[in-house]
Amino acid sequence: MLAVVRSSTLLGVDGFPVHVEVHVANGLPSFTIVGLPDASCRESRDRARAAISTSGLKWPDKRITVNLAPTNLRKAGSALDLAVAIGVLVASDQLGPDLITDFGFLGELGLNGALRPIVGALPLVHALGEVRPVVPPGSFREALLVGRDPVTAGSLLGVVDALKGKAPWDTLDPNDTPESLIVETSDLIDVQGQPVAKRALEVAAAGGHHVLMTGPPGAGKTMLAERLPTLMPDLDDRSAFEVSRIHSAAGRFHELDLIRRPPLRAPHHSASLVALLGGGTSALRPGEVSMASDGVLFLDELGEFPTGHLDALRQPLESGEIHIARASASAVMPARFLLVAATNPCPCGVGKWGDCRCSAAALTRYARRLSGPLLDRFDIRLAVDPPDHRKVLTGDHNGPTSAEVRTRVSRARAMALSRGVHTNRELAASAIDRHAPLTLPAKGYLRRLLEDGTMSMRGVQRLRLMALTIRDLESEEGPVDEVDLAEAMLLRGGDRQVGVAS
Amino acid sequence: MMSSSHSVELPHEAYLTALASLDRVGPATIRWLLSNGTPRSVWALVRSGRLAPGPGIRVTAEMVDRWARQSQSISPEGIWVRCVERGFGVLSLGAAGYPHALAEDTEPPVLLFQAGDPRRLSATRVAIVGTRRASGYGRQVARSLARELTMHGVTVVSGLALGIDVAAHSGALEAIEDLGGGTESPPCGPLAVVGSSLDSPCPRPNLNVAKRVVANGLIYSEVPPGTPSAPWRFPVRNRILAALSDIVVVVESDSNGGSMHTVREALDRNRIVMAVPGPINCRSSAGTNALLRDGAAPCLGVEDILDELGLDRQVVVPTDPARELRPRRAAKCADSTQTENLPFEPLGPVKHGEADPLGKPTRRSEDAHRLPTGVAGEVVDLLGWRPTSTETIASECDLSPRELARVLASLESQGWVRVTGSWVERMSR
Repeated sequence: MLAVVRSSTLLGVDGFPVHVEVHVANGLPSFTIVGLPDASCRESRDRARAAISTSGLKWPDKRITVNLAPTNLRKAGSALDLAVAIGVLVASDQLGPDLITDFGFLGELGLNGALRPIVGALPLVHALGEVRPVVPPGSFREALLVGRDPVTAGSLLGVVDALKGKAPWDTLDPNDTPESLIVETSDLIDVQGQPVAKRALEVAAAGGHHVLMTGPPGAGKTMLAERLPTLMPDLDDRSAFEVSRIHSAAGRFHELDLIRRPPLRAPHHSASLVALLGGGTSALRPGEVSMASDGVLFLDELGEFPTGHLDALRQPLESGEIHIARASASAVMPARFLLVAATNPCPCGVGKWGDCRCSAAALTRYARRLSGPLLDRFDIRLAVDPPDHRKVLTGDHNGPTSAEVRTRVSRARAMALSRGVHTNRELAASAIDRHAPLTLPAKGYLRRLLEDGTMSMRGVQRLRLMALTIRDLESEEGPVDEVDLAEAMLLRGGDRQVGVAS
Repeated sequence: MMSSSHSVELPHEAYLTALASLDRVGPATIRWLLSNGTPRSVWALVRSGRLAPGPGIRVTAEMVDRWARQSQSISPEGIWVRCVERGFGVLSLGAAGYPHALAEDTEPPVLLFQAGDPRRLSATRVAIVGTRRASGYGRQVARSLARELTMHGVTVVSGLALGIDVAAHSGALEAIEDLGGGTESPPCGPLAVVGSSLDSPCPRPNLNVAKRVVANGLIYSEVPPGTPSAPWRFPVRNRILAALSDIVVVVESDSNGGSMHTVREALDRNRIVMAVPGPINCRSSAGTNALLRDGAAPCLGVEDILDELGLDRQVVVPTDPARELRPRRAAKCADSTQTENLPFEPLGPVKHGEADPLGKPTRRSEDAHRLPTGVAGEVVDLLGWRPTSTETIASECDLSPRELARVLASLESQGWVRVTGSWVERMSR
């Protein structure tokens, strides 16, 4: 007797529909799973057998073959457990085949028949398409966000009874609301002084310009970076789904709703290449660059990251996505993040002009750790100075709040969207003249920067994009003028120098 | 020796060069080596390893063995050919062309390599030295002093190191190059005394300046071509620098920097030492300020040096006097003001409410020293003479980044400040 059950499997951040075909035939009792299952998937045989017998149902002592179609797609994880168990029940005539045609089954089974939550419920349910998803209670909230009328039950027996109409589907306990793990309590107003740094963050949030912060320990680099996501507007529906999907696929989705706030990821510099970029298991888990998509990737102590890791970031920085290819599978995952990096100015870290005692050779060596092509990606190169201690101790807050900045940033982003890009940084070189024309004095200013060698041609292009972002933030019309350029220059610094003044 | 048939024709400088290129052979060691005989016979001794270890100079038996091994791979002929091919002059003590100032010295170099035009030596010589970690102020002073001294016909001596040294050479080069190649070259120009060999000038970033110095001036080195540079050779060359100069001007120095070593060498030789004062809270001026306290002559401008030299203040090489008042870059902008619509000049009213923060900046020389007023004046006052971060200025003067950018761009375009990355330095006086 043959049964076909619908389910799905995860690869990268995408779910793919899977048909679980179960054939029960006479012969020596055996149980085989074919169709490229990985180790955790092959174990579902043992879990399904135990769950069926402990639930008081009958395990058929026959020759059982399970095929996971399409057979060329690698299946990973335990989300297929429930589908396998249901398939066995249907194929052994304990459940009518017509009862399951409208449903897709996702869930991990315990040996006692309990249904356990699964990783990547959001993309998995999404992949089921038009059928009603049956999911474990722990994944029900995620299923509700994207699925068509999902249902849940606490155990295998509960699923069978509900399918037969003997019992209702479980409902969600309204008191059982998980706490949101991303709580935004920080605000830009917490940062004392540092008006230039605050403005730099605002421009970065609005224009998508990557930021490199250089400053002595305790200057507030981390504090500033953590507040950057609070300056960004809420994610739109498409981005929210995208971000939630990635976090779900990484097993880190604990929200009541789709993720609406831009994420902040801050991997330690000991992170492996796979952890940064993605890959690892045969399901190709998303890495930090994907988790930071539509948000901020903060790399503290940039110089401590292995050079290879940093240079590997260059491709996702350019294309906004990451291509992970392995012998068994390959996946494309989104990686459109705003890169914020922090580094000490020199080995001794004092940073204040004239107090640093590092030799010229030590400074050169320190600076060489960051490759030129990587540094080139940073439009904003900011020296972060510790705020004046007198002002810190008086404790009076000043400057704009995150909400005020967010309003300006939303407006600037809307103007970028009207130019056909997400952020001004993505504007093509050919489009700069059209979207950011220059006034006559502004042209003179740029010419001078080029003549005295402060800026390269490429640097001037980036500068113009930043000036355009600044103009958008000021919500002024008309061509870019020299004050916009001068402010961009103030935030960017020259092309030649990064770090300590010497 | 097997090569004795050729070596008859080789000058004794070739053997001296070979000896000097041995490991750890400095001025004192080579003098001790020569006490054992003629350069040629000493070379033969070294090669055969039969040299007797010297008591006073710490030449151990181990050292003799090392030299014996090393000398097998050195040929005096090869080294000599190399010098000739590259056009390096080789001067031994007492030979024609050997600088008089050095010949009369207490520790004259036995051997000197030169590249460039030896006529530069005929002029009065002033050394401009200072720290490698110079501030913008120090670099500007070194540059303009060197420039003006060169225009007064004085040869500027320095060590071709980073910071003050290279600024001094650049200033002298600017003055020389402004004269153009057409006329007969003047007797003054940049003179560099380097601690590395002539064919691999150290440090690397100064290679370009080194090439320009060879083209327009003169370089001396005690180190034979092809010998790797070593840290101990740099302080050793300071005595040559001091001996060659009539006056040593220290522009900026830490309290125990290499320049202070040069000062001690200069004082030992009865040379006049002058120091440029700097801010007392700045580490890079700690040494020069201490020198002033201890009685060194203050150098407040090129006039002070000329007075010490007994030269009149007449410019030998005529140029536009307005140009020295501010750094070159700003001068370039000033020149083009008439022709082109330049931004930030004059500055429009700042949002704070002050009418015209810079007055009406005209480029006439009588207005060149007038300090900016209003917000720009506040910023200049705050800067003092120490590089300050843009963040500090914005906080202290309570300026929005936009206003700050406008003020700084305007000040920079007029040469009052220089912005490097996120650091602002006051430039003009």
